[in-house]
Amino acid sequence: MKKTIINIVLILVALIIYYLQSNFFTWFNIAGIMPNLFIIFVLFIGLFASKTMGTIYGIIIGLFLDFILGMRIGINAVTLGLIGFLAGVFDKNFSKDSRMTIMVMVLFSTVLVEILNYLLKYIFLSINVEIGNFIIILAIEIIYNLLLTIILYPLIQKSGYYIENEYKGNKILTRYF
Amino acid sequence: MYRNKKTGIIGIVITVIILILIVIFSNGENNSNFFENAATNLVMPIQNGLTYLKNKISGNSTFFTDINNLQNENEELKQKNSELEQSLRELENIKTENETLKEYLNLTEKYGEYKTIPGYVINKDISNYSKTIVINIGSDDGVQENMTVIGDEGLVGHVVSVTNSTAKVETIIDTASSISCSMSTTKDSIVCKGTLDGQSELRAMYIPTDANIIQGDSIETSGLGGIYPKGIHVGTVKSVTNTQNIVDRYAIVETAVDFDKLDTVLVITNQ
Repeated sequence: MKKTIINIVLILVALIIYYLQSNFFTWFNIAGIMPNLFIIFVLFIGLFASKTMGTIYGIIIGLFLDFILGMRIGINAVTLGLIGFLAGVFDKNFSKDSRMTIMVMVLFSTVLVEILNYLLKYIFLSINVEIGNFIIILAIEIIYNLLLTIILYPLIQKSGYYIENEYKGNKILTRYF
Repeated sequence: MYRNKKTGIIGIVITVIILILIVIFSNGENNSNFFENAATNLVMPIQNGLTYLKNKISGNSTFFTDINNLQNENEELKQKNSELEQSLRELENIKTENETLKEYLNLTEKYGEYKTIPGYVINKDISNYSKTIVINIGSDDGVQENMTVIGDEGLVGHVVSVTNSTAKVETIIDTASSISCSMSTTKDSIVCKGTLDGQSELRAMYIPTDANIIQGDSIETSGLGGIYPKGIHVGTVKSVTNTQNIVDRYAIVETAVDFDKLDTVLVITNQ
């Protein structure tokens, strides 16, 4: 029962993030560059719920974005799904108790998603490659994502541990010893 | 982890403030007007009062004498003012209505030889690296894939996929887009590609070595390539960059359409 509620809330949050991205952040941007809250969201699910759930959510959200706005179905699905999977790997190897490690994970995920996205677009859509501009945009996006992570961290932590208790039981702490 | 809750909250508040400041300063005038107004409104009433007092104190003896006259006059003026405001509001309503009607008329008149369907932009891309838009007309209205989309000022892009009630449009500033164009004065053909840079710039490439590019020259579609019809205005040459090798030189073309403010478009159905 609780798991169903958690899933419904997660889907609602994904929709809210979509509306934030397409309305609020197109106005509240840094030099025209928007953050990518979906990366943080999928990373969060993979970290606190489970690897499988992160991957599934990543793929579904990615497909949703591809259907609405993408030029080629599957590019976002692959990259976001990969982040969900990676989040599970992060969970095994790093502590989630520190704001710093979460920030490093967000940084790494953002870099990976955007570079992979750009590479796939280059392969499938033969876009014009502009390394300089790409790096500038990526840098601003990373800074924006990190600032949002700092702001959202208490929320991430609280709701995260609630979800983790539900999905993995109360045995988290033992493996750090 | 923070040592206690208080420092954590202070950290978050500081981050929020920093984020807002970055957004304001990076966007120049766009967002700062709102904050400027707020700041001015906070300070100006008191500032005005102080200035008024200062002026009074520095010697104006008639201040208290004809206060009655002034009151009467004030009443009259207030009434007149409200009447004027009323008529002004009416006029403004008429003006905006007039402008919208004119806009529609212009749009259809300019491209009279094409059959078009008007539509609104309902969604813009949420990614920083691609610039597709979604419009509110689809296959039910007769829109099909690869149809050309234009705006009031010029070319917008082409339809890449349609649903029953919406259509996805790849704009010409998207990095995956390249259009075959020609310069209006010399008729030299070039290829205009979208860039990651900004909202209204294209990069004109493959310029013939003997071609003469003139700054401010108008660029239009050449009709080659099969998607865009001939003769649709794309933009004007903003600057020319010469490289060591003349084959590599390129020009920056400023699009006629302002993609930041784009809201009404026309889809050409017969090409």
